[in-house]
Amino acid sequence: MAAQIIGFDENKKRLSTQQLLMQVYAALDRGETNFEVLSSGHHNIGGPLWTEDGSPLKFSVKNPGQRVGSFGLSGTSITVNGSAPADAGWLNAGAELIIKGDSGDTTAHCAASGKIYVAGRVGTRSGSLMKHDPAFDAPEFWVLKNTGSFCFEFMGGGTAVICGIDSDDFDTVLGDRACMGMVGGTIYLRGEAKNLPDEVWLMELDEADREFLSQGLPTFLEKIDRSQHLETLTDFSQWKKITAKTYEERRWRHAQRISMREFRMNKWVGDGGIFADVVKDNYDHVAGLVNAGEDRLKIPHWQNKAFCAPCEAACPSSIPTQDRINLLRAGKYKEAIELVLQYSPFPSSVCGEVCPNPCMDACTRQFIDLPVAMPALGKLSMEAESPTPKADSGKKVAVIGGGPGGLSAAWHLRLLGHGTTIIEADKEVGGKLRQVIPTDRLPADTLGHEIKRVKDLGVAIKTNTPVDKALFAKLQQDFDAVVIASGAHNPVVIPFPGHERLVKGLEFLKAVNNGENPPVGEKVVVIGAGNAGMDVCLGAYAMGAKQVTAIDIQRPAAFKKEIDHFEKLGGKIEWPAFTEKVDGKGLHTKDGRLLEADTVIISIGERPDLSYIPREWLTERGMAEVDDCGQLTKAPGIFAIGDTIQPGLLTHAIGHGREAAEYIDEYLAGNQLKAKKKLPQISQECLSKELFRPHNRSRFSFTDATKETSRCISCGTCRDCGMCLEACPEGAIRREDCKDGSFEYISDDHLCIGCGICAGMCPCGIWGMEQVV
Amino acid sequence: METMRLNDVTANDLPWKIKYDASRCTMCGSCVATCSFRAILPKVERRRMVFSEGNFPEPKARFSAVPVIRQAKSIRNYCRGCGMCEKVCPNDAIKPERNQDTRHPVITRCLGGDSIKRGGRKNLEGSTRTLDSIRVGRISQMTDPSLDAQRHTFDLLAPFGRILPPKKLPFSPDVDQQLVTNALTPPVNWIYPVIIGDMSIGALSWRMWEGVAMAVAYLNEECGLPVRMCSGEGGVPVRLLKSKYLKYMILQIASGHFGWNRIANAMPHMVEDPAGILIKIGQGAKPGDGGLLQAGKVAEHIQAIRGVPKADLLSPPNHQGLYSIEESVQKMFLSFNSAFKFRVPVAIKVAASATSVSVFNNLVRDPYNIVGGFFLDGIDGGTGAAHEVSLDHTGHPIVSKLRDCYLAAVTQGRQGQIPLWAAGGLGKTGDLAADAFKMIALGANGVFTGKLILQMAGCIGNDMGRCNACNTGLCPAGITTQEPQLAHRLDPEKVAQNIVNYFLAMDQEFKKLLAPIGNSSLPVGRSDALVATDHAVADRLQIQHVC
Repeated sequence: MAAQIIGFDENKKRLSTQQLLMQVYAALDRGETNFEVLSSGHHNIGGPLWTEDGSPLKFSVKNPGQRVGSFGLSGTSITVNGSAPADAGWLNAGAELIIKGDSGDTTAHCAASGKIYVAGRVGTRSGSLMKHDPAFDAPEFWVLKNTGSFCFEFMGGGTAVICGIDSDDFDTVLGDRACMGMVGGTIYLRGEAKNLPDEVWLMELDEADREFLSQGLPTFLEKIDRSQHLETLTDFSQWKKITAKTYEERRWRHAQRISMREFRMNKWVGDGGIFADVVKDNYDHVAGLVNAGEDRLKIPHWQNKAFCAPCEAACPSSIPTQDRINLLRAGKYKEAIELVLQYSPFPSSVCGEVCPNPCMDACTRQFIDLPVAMPALGKLSMEAESPTPKADSGKKVAVIGGGPGGLSAAWHLRLLGHGTTIIEADKEVGGKLRQVIPTDRLPADTLGHEIKRVKDLGVAIKTNTPVDKALFAKLQQDFDAVVIASGAHNPVVIPFPGHERLVKGLEFLKAVNNGENPPVGEKVVVIGAGNAGMDVCLGAYAMGAKQVTAIDIQRPAAFKKEIDHFEKLGGKIEWPAFTEKVDGKGLHTKDGRLLEADTVIISIGERPDLSYIPREWLTERGMAEVDDCGQLTKAPGIFAIGDTIQPGLLTHAIGHGREAAEYIDEYLAGNQLKAKKKLPQISQECLSKELFRPHNRSRFSFTDATKETSRCISCGTCRDCGMCLEACPEGAIRREDCKDGSFEYISDDHLCIGCGICAGMCPCGIWGMEQVV
Repeated sequence: METMRLNDVTANDLPWKIKYDASRCTMCGSCVATCSFRAILPKVERRRMVFSEGNFPEPKARFSAVPVIRQAKSIRNYCRGCGMCEKVCPNDAIKPERNQDTRHPVITRCLGGDSIKRGGRKNLEGSTRTLDSIRVGRISQMTDPSLDAQRHTFDLLAPFGRILPPKKLPFSPDVDQQLVTNALTPPVNWIYPVIIGDMSIGALSWRMWEGVAMAVAYLNEECGLPVRMCSGEGGVPVRLLKSKYLKYMILQIASGHFGWNRIANAMPHMVEDPAGILIKIGQGAKPGDGGLLQAGKVAEHIQAIRGVPKADLLSPPNHQGLYSIEESVQKMFLSFNSAFKFRVPVAIKVAASATSVSVFNNLVRDPYNIVGGFFLDGIDGGTGAAHEVSLDHTGHPIVSKLRDCYLAAVTQGRQGQIPLWAAGGLGKTGDLAADAFKMIALGANGVFTGKLILQMAGCIGNDMGRCNACNTGLCPAGITTQEPQLAHRLDPEKVAQNIVNYFLAMDQEFKKLLAPIGNSSLPVGRSDALVATDHAVADRLQIQHVC
């Protein structure tokens, strides 16, 4: 006789869950093992309960509340006669729970052992978090009909069987979205399942499955009194099973996606992608952040002699001192001192003595210690032998004027193989070099030596032959080309009151150099403080003046060297000073001062006398009008140089002479003349001057000009030092000898990464980096 | 003596200083080879020491000249801080360091006489970002069931297209009492709530643009995420227009109308409709200004697709033919709806502005049902090139403006009819899911993003002045350049893979935010889910203040 547990008191009032369960415990303590419970929604009936001797417990329950059979232990069997509300079999730990009607939501939630049999439907989230503890038998959860949605969420183990009886009106027997998060266990289902997650397999039954069901179904149906369905349910063709994917299978699923490469090659827009018609690119090639070859951002180029050294750029005669020094460095002394004669016949007289040396003002070495000693280098060439002229061309050129420009033109014309005749008005050639430059600035034998070298080359000279219109016309006829190099010999005079009292500077200097000792007073004022003015001042002192004052209307244009020399002799320079008039007392300035003077000399420049050529060949200012090639614009074949086109230095006239010779050479060959441009000057930025150790300025002495090889940077011309070759991190640079005896450095495109260290280290600025990007 | 003069540019005038350790450097050349900005150079340095070793003064001298890496001191070739030198240096010998004392903003203007231009985003760091003072603060626990982010399924879909209110849906029962539609409804595409924002083929290298397009296709085809990409102004590769992948592309028209000739001519060959059309009126990063593609980036294919010669390409600040809101609705919306026979939704993008709500209110009326979306772009948006003054000082933050527009629609009972899409600095901290989620809870239907996509691809720029040189065309990552040598650095497959992976991660993170508030679809306007730790933010956005 089972213990009767009634959920009502004598007044038919419902007992609390606690009161009902206390009745159960009391009966259990009395040794009862069989319970008939008339409940009224009381919770937690059926567990966790046990007997000391292990004898089984049996409950028969009507109208239970939630969580019937919760924590039910092995040995407990609970039968619900009718339906059960939510959480039946919650945390079932081994009990048998038979529900003969439907069961509510979350049936078998967290069941970990035991068996739950339901004769009807189960609610939402049923079977969720079922699991299997290996120390116990796996839980089983049998449902005759179907489940609500979200069932078997997070299921970790055990077996569920959903038989799908009476479920034809439902789309699925598992509701919507079953098995979310399922990681273990097996669900057998008879019918459809929809919206299953990726985490599970939906499979056909195998032999073991069929055996499990064959064995379990009769028991299940018997327990719930529905054996009539056995035949229907044992048609296994209607069954499927769901199992969770294993951990490995889930990982595999992620790895399952095709690679981006496969996607691009096989699915993406074919034949090279979406830009293939407008951009040529191979996506298989992915560059690094540092690349050789095509993907370099910069490409080095060995640009030997692509840029002009500053000295050469600054030299009006374009003398390439870097080449001269490179020859000296290579031990080719003779070639070195002769090289300069290709540019000027006066290396010693001009470079070495009277030239203000703009090359030195430009010299890179000055930024390290002192500029390269150009005058000393120039003097080395005094004794140099003339280069051998080219074979006689049979052409004849007349050069009007034997000054530095005319001599230079004649010299170079001869070297080019042309017959050359200088027509000189004075008794001797040399022009202003000889006529006006004080001999303490230019030793006569130096000049004489260099003029002789010109003469010895075979230049014909006619002295005492001033050119007039008639002679000019004859020269035009007799010669294939004419060079006008007659200089500027007409002193400029300003017509202020008393200008007739002025001594003309040029004539004064000529008289001095001619040994005529022109007289001067004790006090001398020189108008004009340019370089010629300074020469006049020196001449005045040489002729016995006690006090020489130079004036100018602007900052004196003379070189500092000249001014210093003058001031050392006691000379004074006043500027700005504008002349009002000159009288017996001296020079009156416009601001009312009197500069006392016995002699006033004017030296503000000279104009060329070109009265022997037609007026229309001249500019408005009376200079020869020439094109870019020094050729008279209105008279082809006639070239003008030096002061006849523009006032300049001696070295300008010498440079013009060489240029004219070269253009005439082209002209005589019948070629179209094209202006030659000097190469652009190298930028100081490109020169790694830091590689040169500065000399202590206090210890300088130029005893031997050939030692300047150690100081010249060789701007723009490779000095073959090999810094680049050694520094290149990729070993991409090699040096090769060329057939003509020269050499070159080559950067291998396949090795070079475009770092620019070669350019960054080159002392001479030879390596240029082409910016690709 | 070579001396500096007062106004000579030195490293200390520049925004970044190169920190270089000659003792660690092997002169391998990597840093100088990789630097696309020509900001570092190999140079020779003198080392000189006069010393005495004896018991009495006895001068000796030591001299050496050593190669080193030097910073270029120029306002043209200056270090942008991209750090590629540091990345390639095998010896940790070199890196850029931010220079607090930079005079760059002043000297650049003084020396150049021109406005400063750059790419990137606003570089002025303000206080905490509005979005960072907002938390997802309504967590479903005992109140209502929360969801499981990893295991439950979510519908992360947002509309691109005009949504009709229920009463206006042209449904009616037929004789069998089944609902049938009896009129055309405006097209709506339900897409992922993050659109890859409009970056043009001129702004990006072809490798980058194709990588993004490929990522979008992959996300759709292989991952099931219906992500869409907006083409940006300036044309679409014809081969893409003719491919089936056009369906993932939103085509953009902006004031320059660049590239539409080829789009129109490709129409007869299209096998799919595009996902949508976006009319760009303005951009958050430089409101009031049009596109600015600098000549360095106008490569040959850009010239061809755009139909212009190599030059700085400035799109006008306004569409030349539009004079009023009404006209933009009438003309632009109608034109683009009709261009695709009313099958493709058309939306509009404007820079967030003090006037945005008026514009939105006007669009919301939409009597013709042709306004398929309102895209609002805030001040923190990125750009390939803009005047720095515009980037840093013009514009309107997105958060409150989006909220204003949403609430304006709510007031009229019309929320959701014109989808609201927001952008402008979203994902700035790297976490787009959080920013997007908050914007959605404040009323956005979805968000769009651009700069973050570049960062996924490998862009090393940031909002503290690092790199930001997209405008120069010298992008060291090969992303915003048209120089082949730089573009080759970028692997389009890697770009696509990174974007795909970011989206997959973000997708999980969206769910991590949706689950606790118990939404399995986007919580548009669910501002009850948000709380703000800042009182002013809470007040302004009408959300709960917490502390």
